[in-house]
Amino acid sequence: MNDFSLYVARDSGLHKLHPLTKGIYVLFVLVAGFTLPGPWTSYFVVAFGILPLAAWGKVLGIHLRSVWRVTWPFALSVLLIQGLFWGHGEDLVSLGPLALKKEGVAFAFISIGRILLVMSSFILFSLTTRPDMLMISLKQAGFPGSIAYIFVTTLQIIPRFQSRAQTVLDAQRSRGLETEGNLLVRSRALVPLVVPLVLGSLVDVEERAIAIEARAFNSNHKETSVVEIPDSLLQKRIRAVLTAGAALLVVAGFAWRLLS
Amino acid sequence: MALIELEHVSYRYPIGSGLALADIDLRVEEGEFVAIIGPNGAGKSTLCYTLSGFIPHFFRGDLQGKVQVAGMQAGSSTLNEWVLQVGLAFQNPFNQISGAKYTVFEEVAFGLENLGVPPDEIRARVDEALSLGGIRDLADRSPYSLSGGQQQRVALTSILVMQPRVLVLDEPTSQMDPAGTREVFGLIRSLAERGLTVVMAEHKTEWIAAFADRVVALYQGHVLLDGKPGEVLTSDALLDKGFGISRYTSVARRARERDLWPSDRPLPVTLDEAAAGFSHRSSR
Repeated sequence: MNDFSLYVARDSGLHKLHPLTKGIYVLFVLVAGFTLPGPWTSYFVVAFGILPLAAWGKVLGIHLRSVWRVTWPFALSVLLIQGLFWGHGEDLVSLGPLALKKEGVAFAFISIGRILLVMSSFILFSLTTRPDMLMISLKQAGFPGSIAYIFVTTLQIIPRFQSRAQTVLDAQRSRGLETEGNLLVRSRALVPLVVPLVLGSLVDVEERAIAIEARAFNSNHKETSVVEIPDSLLQKRIRAVLTAGAALLVVAGFAWRLLS
Repeated sequence: MALIELEHVSYRYPIGSGLALADIDLRVEEGEFVAIIGPNGAGKSTLCYTLSGFIPHFFRGDLQGKVQVAGMQAGSSTLNEWVLQVGLAFQNPFNQISGAKYTVFEEVAFGLENLGVPPDEIRARVDEALSLGGIRDLADRSPYSLSGGQQQRVALTSILVMQPRVLVLDEPTSQMDPAGTREVFGLIRSLAERGLTVVMAEHKTEWIAAFADRVVALYQGHVLLDGKPGEVLTSDALLDKGFGISRYTSVARRARERDLWPSDRPLPVTLDEAAAGFSHRSSR
């Protein structure tokens, strides 16, 4: 519905959860994935902590596609960099002077798992949480209105930025700018692409600031909301348990590292 | 009663050497619809920001002279006080969407939420404003899924819901196609007819001639002309200064040089005025 956010409207229990419940759950699975030992931990958390929720939220297909699109370039880079340049010992595959080391690949496997966990949890959160609901819940949780606004609109500005970048690229190409070819040609094209993009974005930011100021954004009144976010005692308890669990995992993780 | 009074107002932006406004005197009565015209760089947007309190509260710079709008004085009233009295809308409708709301209804409610208005009162006022803005059918749509004209009407409605006494518009139709322009001008006309004081910077002279009570021509930060739309928009003083001149005025001016336009008849701005003038000439 909203062209400038990832949110996908579905009639699901996950969509109806309070944004903070989902946010704290994301925090919990991230902490679990990063603190619990073992090379498979992050993959395990994604498989049993994220994907079933995506299915419950009726967004499994779009979730998998989005995660794949975002993750594979990072995963490939990490695999090559860590596989080729990290670790010692046995080669897994070698091609001339280049060799993928077994130790480096094993380390890359852990890193890729963590990237996968971060991407899949944030994407699931974005797919099932309305930005305005998130902003309201952040404000109700005590975040300053301006910080909550910046946090929410930043998520939406990324697609807008991509769209503007494409417009600038098309405009400069139509005026004969070479944007494809060797590194020198591409680096020459950078300035005429980046300068209008940055300047245009600054104008956008100034206009947006004026527009929200004109609507009393910095008013001293205590804000109200026409949108009610359903919450329950059960969800509040779940949030408390997840927060305590995350804190416990952090402490346990530190202790385990100190002792081992 | 004058709702807007500017006396000897000059303004210089923090970055930039010249005066953006130079010794401006302007008086606008309550309920008046005043159009501001001028070439690019004439000071139209600066004047709009001054009338809406963004100069000097948002754009710092150096402001001189007396600026009084709806009982507030520049310098002594806060921006929050200004936005309650003066609504501002500008060119790019996309950038006027808050980006934090999911539906048009919620978008229109944004300003009232910021003012801490109770939710029940917000719903009633938003309902009324959606009807006034002619966008009741868009209430459940995403603001981002709308056309430019629809988005601009949402932006205007989002200001109207705050019930300002003055509406300042900075080229609100400059990015609109003819259909969008018609939508937005239709709304502004209905607001002016309800007694709202409107100051609008605009290039589209034919629309101005049809709707405005008065036209102020700005040139290099000065008031060049101030008077009735028919007089200002056809004045020879606008020639060669980069002002947008109606095509009907240009045609009639050429025709007058060749004695094809009645010498006792003022130059036209709109199609109807031109048609009437040429019909009159050919029937003689």
